[in-house]
Order: sequence, then C-alpha cells, then structure tokens
Amino acid sequence: MKTAGQLKRGVSLYSYQEEYYTRAMTLEDCLAEVAAIGAEGVELLPEQMVPGFPNPSQAWVDEWFRLLEKYHLKPACLDTFVDTTWGGHREMSTDEAVQTLVTHMKLADRLGFRAIRPTTGPVPDAAVDMIQQVLPYAEKYDVKVAVEIHAPTLLRSRFIDTYLELIAKTGTRHFGFTPDMGLFCRTIPRILIEHFQRQGVDPAIMDFVNSAVLARRPQDEIGAGVGKMGGRDVDQTYGFMANYYYQPDNDPKDISIIAPYVYNIHGKFYEMTENMIEPNIPYDLIVPALIDAGCTGYINSEFEGQRLTQDAFETDSCEQVRRHHLMMAKLLGEA
Amino acid sequence: MRMYEKYMIMTRGFKNVRRDGEVEGFQFNIRTTYYRGVYLAIIGGIEVSVDGENFQPGQIRVAFGGRDFTLDEMAREETARWPFGDPATVTVLKKGGLRPGIHEISVTQVIKPAYMPARGFVANAQKRITVVQ
Repeated sequence: MKTAGQLKRGVSLYSYQEEYYTRAMTLEDCLAEVAAIGAEGVELLPEQMVPGFPNPSQAWVDEWFRLLEKYHLKPACLDTFVDTTWGGHREMSTDEAVQTLVTHMKLADRLGFRAIRPTTGPVPDAAVDMIQQVLPYAEKYDVKVAVEIHAPTLLRSRFIDTYLELIAKTGTRHFGFTPDMGLFCRTIPRILIEHFQRQGVDPAIMDFVNSAVLARRPQDEIGAGVGKMGGRDVDQTYGFMANYYYQPDNDPKDISIIAPYVYNIHGKFYEMTENMIEPNIPYDLIVPALIDAGCTGYINSEFEGQRLTQDAFETDSCEQVRRHHLMMAKLLGEA
Repeated sequence: MRMYEKYMIMTRGFKNVRRDGEVEGFQFNIRTTYYRGVYLAIIGGIEVSVDGENFQPGQIRVAFGGRDFTLDEMAREETARWPFGDPATVTVLKKGGLRPGIHEISVTQVIKPAYMPARGFVANAQKRITVVQ
C-alpha cells in the first residue's frame, strides 16, 4: 500500500460561509481556524470573501498574504463562477466568457493561487471551446484550470472523455479537474430526508421516492409517480433532490481515470457524526483510492450540510470541519 | 425553508421614508439567499408584499452600497455587485407608508446563476417586525 505521500489536508472556506455571512467570523477567524486544526491548504470563493471582487484593493491583497504567513497556510484553489446567461437576460459570447476567466486568473495570480475552479453553464455540459481559448492565458499566468467534476456526473462518461481528449490533443499541463467527493454519495442523506419532512413532504410520497431512487428508477418516472400521488411542488422537489444526492454509480477506484490531471479535490461532506464518520460518503474507501491513484495536493473540506439544517438548528461549521479533519488525518496516516 | 431564508429579512433599519415632509414609502434591509455575492443582473427578481398587499415592480427600489436601482436597472447591471452577507436596502413607494405597529413582510428573492438555467434559486421569507415611525 502506498503512503499518503503528497496528499495533504486543506479547507475550503466555503465551509464557514454561514458564520461569515452572519458576521460571526471574519476572514482572519476562518484562516486561524484552518491553522488550529493543522490544515495547510486554503480554498477560497472570492465572491464570498474578497471585498471589491474581482479587483480587490492592494491593501486587501497585502493583508491576505500577511494572514497566510501568520497562520502558515498555502493558497490551494480559487473557486470562480462565469454566469454565462447573465441571470437569463442575455447570453455571454465565448470571447466574453474567456475574458471573464482571464480576470479570474489574474486575481488568482495576485492572491497566490496556482489553480482556479471555474463553474460555468449547466453541470453536464463540457465547455470545450471556452477551455481551449483559455489555455494560452492559463500558461501565461501559470494558473491551472481545474473544472469541477460534481454530481450527477459520472467518472466513466462522455463528459470526462471529452476533456481527457482535449488534454491529450493539446498536451496541456494547465487544464484538469476538481473532483467533488459528493460523486460517491451512497445514501439519501438523513439531513435531506429530515429537512423535507420539516417542509411537509407527504410521508407516502417520501416512501415512494426513497424506494424509487434506491431502485435507480429514472427521474422522469419518479416525477410522474409523485404527480400521480397528487404531489405538490415540495414533493416534486424532494423527488428531484433525493435522486440528485444519491450517486451509487461512481466507484472511488475510478478516480484513477482522471488522477494525473487532478489539481484540486473537494472534500464534500453533508454531516459528520460524533463518531467521526460521514454517514453518506465513504471516505474510508475514498481516501485510500485517492492515494492509490497517486493524487497529490490538497483535499479541501467542503461542508455543505448547513443549507439543509439551518432552518431548524444552529450551524457550527467549525465543529463539522474539525470532525472531518480528524477523520481525514487518520485516513491519511498522520500520527 | 431554503438556503439563508431565515436570515433574509432583517429587523434593523425598518422605517417609513419621507421626502419633502411627505411619507413616500417604507424601507427595510435584506440579505442574499445564495452562497456568494453576484452582479446585480444575476438577481432574477425581488417581490415584496406587506400584510397581504402585493407591490408592483415599479414601486420597488433596491440600494446596494448606498446606490439606488430600479428592478429594470438591476436586470441590466453587469458591474455593480451585491456582496455576500451585505444588507441591501429595499424601498417600497407607497404614499403614507406603514402605520406604526407590527407588519408581516414577505419577500421572494430569485438568484439565477448560469448552472441553474431554469428557475434559479427561489427563496421566500416572511417576518413580523415593528415599524416605529
């Protein structure tokens, strides 16, 4: 068995979004917390935490580097978005989208990030034209473009093959992937079920949806079934979300398909229990698979449970991330 | 309840607004129901009702960083941003404003990122808060 080698712990500050939003935590508080749990990598959504995005003041940039040095942290990846539909008002041209990505790369370079994770159009669409045109800039600024592989994408799919062909054809070292560990979600998460119970989903419809999802019935059939049972909007939403979260078709070992081009990893989790387990995502299989596949760099915790629990409970993002890190430290073989 | 709905409508700042001695409407603060800041054009809509009275889009102004926009202006605005967690001030033009006392404010906010092309993130929140003057 290989050792953890070059795979290290990091945190996406996305995890602390709720406390940042309510102003319970500042950027410095977030970075101090990352340091306090012994992590090194920092992933940042500039549209969450960079004032003046996409052009922060030099004073802010200086402060960013001062904080990284103070807490001994390293920039891992900058997560950006290209809203190509302008909220439905008009469609961006490819050139405009490319120039937007160039703006993001310049910001990444200013903040010391050597990778960006752009999110553009709908998840299943590969944006080959855009990526090809971006590559010369990625080389110029030495910023890798690591597109997200996010549920419901399959690792064995046309989407992945299209990008692998692009890499083979161009020989680029500046384009690759950010796989999100939600790819391996093995349950309909308990917090999703309980959230929709609180929202008033009909219990019989919930039973039907759960059985249908676990039996891998197609989405249109699930929707039609919910409709026949007199389902309302909230019932239909549950039918869609349950199917979206449940991802049994990706095998953690299939990470090897993209491993040489993995430049960032989203350690997505929905819930960490007091037993230090993510009951939905099999990290005990995932971390060894990442190591065996030779993945390097940071696996950055990305806590996303808050949106399903905040309606009824106080969020403690720091505690959730701490449990995730204790689990990862063990799986990575840290003493 | 969806993402950040419980935080959307803020209590602080709720008041009637006067111009030239006349009460021309009322205002209150809201925060985003999405996990990042956006250019104003990405905001798919803001709808307001108070005590069951719905207001027309033309009656609504929203101030971001102290700068007032109509909803039409927001739809075209590709430079100004609504930062994550920062309050925006909604002004509703309604002659006479609201009488002192408790009112039920209801707000629907839509955010439309490119990866959610159909409906976007639709959030709705209600809050009962008191206007003093």
